[in-house]
Amino acid sequence: MTVQTPTLEPAVGPLAAVSHPRAWTVWITVLAVGLLIGFGSFIYQWTNGLAVTGLSNTITWGLYIVAFMFLVGVSAGGLIVVAGAELAGSHRFEHINRLAVVCSVAAVATAAGTILPDLGRPQRAWKMILQPNLTSPLVWDMAVLTIYLVIGAIDLWILTRVPVPRKALRVMAIVSLPVAILVHSVTAWIFGLLVARPFWNTPLLAPLFISSALVSGTALVVVTGHVVERFTTFRVGQSVYAGLRRLLLWFVAADVFLLFTEVMTTFVSGEPDHRDQLDILLTGRLAPVFWGEIILGVAVPVVVLLSRAGSRPAMLTVSSVLLLLGVFAKRVNILFAAEFEPLVGLAPGIPGGRAGQPFRPDEVYIPTWVESGVLIGMAAFFFTILTIGVQRAVLPHHDGGVDE
Amino acid sequence: MPELDNGHPADDPAGDQVSPVEALPAASRAYGTIDVRSEHPRWGMAVDLERCIGCWTCAVICKSENAVPLGMWWNRILTAGAAIDTPATDEHGRMDLHWLPLACQHCDDAPCEKVCPTSATWINAEGLVLVNQDDCIGCRYCMAACPYGVRVFNWGDAEYPLPEGTGMVAPRPVGSVEKCTMCVHRLADEQVPSCVWSCPAQARIFGDLNAADSRLVQMLDSRNPSILLEEKGTRPKVSYLEPRRRRPLLDETADYLNDGEDQ
Repeated sequence: MTVQTPTLEPAVGPLAAVSHPRAWTVWITVLAVGLLIGFGSFIYQWTNGLAVTGLSNTITWGLYIVAFMFLVGVSAGGLIVVAGAELAGSHRFEHINRLAVVCSVAAVATAAGTILPDLGRPQRAWKMILQPNLTSPLVWDMAVLTIYLVIGAIDLWILTRVPVPRKALRVMAIVSLPVAILVHSVTAWIFGLLVARPFWNTPLLAPLFISSALVSGTALVVVTGHVVERFTTFRVGQSVYAGLRRLLLWFVAADVFLLFTEVMTTFVSGEPDHRDQLDILLTGRLAPVFWGEIILGVAVPVVVLLSRAGSRPAMLTVSSVLLLLGVFAKRVNILFAAEFEPLVGLAPGIPGGRAGQPFRPDEVYIPTWVESGVLIGMAAFFFTILTIGVQRAVLPHHDGGVDE
Repeated sequence: MPELDNGHPADDPAGDQVSPVEALPAASRAYGTIDVRSEHPRWGMAVDLERCIGCWTCAVICKSENAVPLGMWWNRILTAGAAIDTPATDEHGRMDLHWLPLACQHCDDAPCEKVCPTSATWINAEGLVLVNQDDCIGCRYCMAACPYGVRVFNWGDAEYPLPEGTGMVAPRPVGSVEKCTMCVHRLADEQVPSCVWSCPAQARIFGDLNAADSRLVQMLDSRNPSILLEEKGTRPKVSYLEPRRRRPLLDETADYLNDGEDQ
């Protein structure tokens, strides 16, 4: 069961594994349209400047950076689950490890791509590589994301050999685990090392990013696994679902605990600026998102996962989708709580930035259709890589029947 | 680096490259000349909150001096209270007018400079925090990192009140970040920044922090200056001189402790 007998049939190609040809056509069309929308929106934004976004001098980072944080987080699961299981000597997740790594690679590649539309001058992005400022966490992140992507690709290559070279896999697991932890820490430090943003400037931000990454990464593996299972001959299997369910519960517990200690400390004894930014979440403008996240993104899925229904793949998948939405909401909260309340908040506030735009001490941010278009493109890009990965690396190496 | 705008009316129509500063009347020029400078100057500024009348002259002249487009400000006057036209009141319901002129603080330990991924933000030999527009990729990390919120971004094509634009320096490209340069182009002509020169209340003092006999250093020594957000450790080169006869503005804790006892 663990190392499959090769079932590669090059003449038929990976499409042979798809049991729903119509669904496949629809899916490919959706991806193509999404990519077109995204590309078109990006070009439109590039020619007109970021003025076509809802961003301003107060809310300088918006939807793209939320997507970046989310995607980097989502990439965790794959590698940590696979490498973690390998290092723990568990073979339980072995037959979904290709799927998990494909999820990771797709997420990291898309995350790196997310930065491009956020730049005011994408044509100069190369300067970041050729003349990097080594004190910038953005440069560190670019480096670790690249390493992470390379590791993911090597992992995938190793996992698609027949038979899988165990020793190489173990070496990669040892290498990739610390890099994975670093990826999430450094991404957290992009925000957490800024004295200007008390809400981000907490040592707990990196651990929080890791715990959220574990939750969302594992949830993505569950959802992807279930969807692929639904449409192809690929089978995840009860034992893997049970394992992932238990992992999810542990990861959510860790995530909630870290969030709770952070909120508790700030609520009771935080310095005023930090407290002000927390209040935006607890009772302020972001309260619906925050409490929505706690209820729909944490409480409901946890109850489902704990109940007997949680053992059913469909319910496990629904819980995972809710957890993913919860983590996305958390990214929204983290980003905007700090941006809504600038440190020097006296009237009239920070200038909006465009002709006719007023000063805005009290900022609102509504993403425009251009930003939504680019986001659709990013999603399509992510799912395209995921689809290709599943087609090329997962299905051909799967024996089709894992039953226990 | 900033270039002289040849189209400016202050330029000599015959084409002789006379700088706008040289075109100034001698008295104006003398008024705006930097008092003393050491061999290795470190430029700094003090804002006397006792003298500031919140008139926005410095903010407006900054815009025209530096070709700052509509909707953007490098320098602005913050007002205690709900809005510019809704000032704070004290416990007796009396108007309690306080202003805080705010522009780049030219920090010695500038968070913006540390996080800039391409070193587009750099600190020159005289301590000024500047942006090299050529290297700016527009990631706006510096704007997230600045505790003072003094950086502005070129979101789209710049618009000016005059079609030909204003200013003594070249406009910045779309997609790049800009901010106060302490009028580095004027310093080359031994002239103080525009905001200092134009202040009708003479509330701004510009000078060389390394020159012990400069008026700036003497003012800082005699007036117990405050630093904005000192606890953030950014070590700004702009200081605020608190009003001597009025309630201190910057330190809210002191304000609270003195409540009912001051004056």
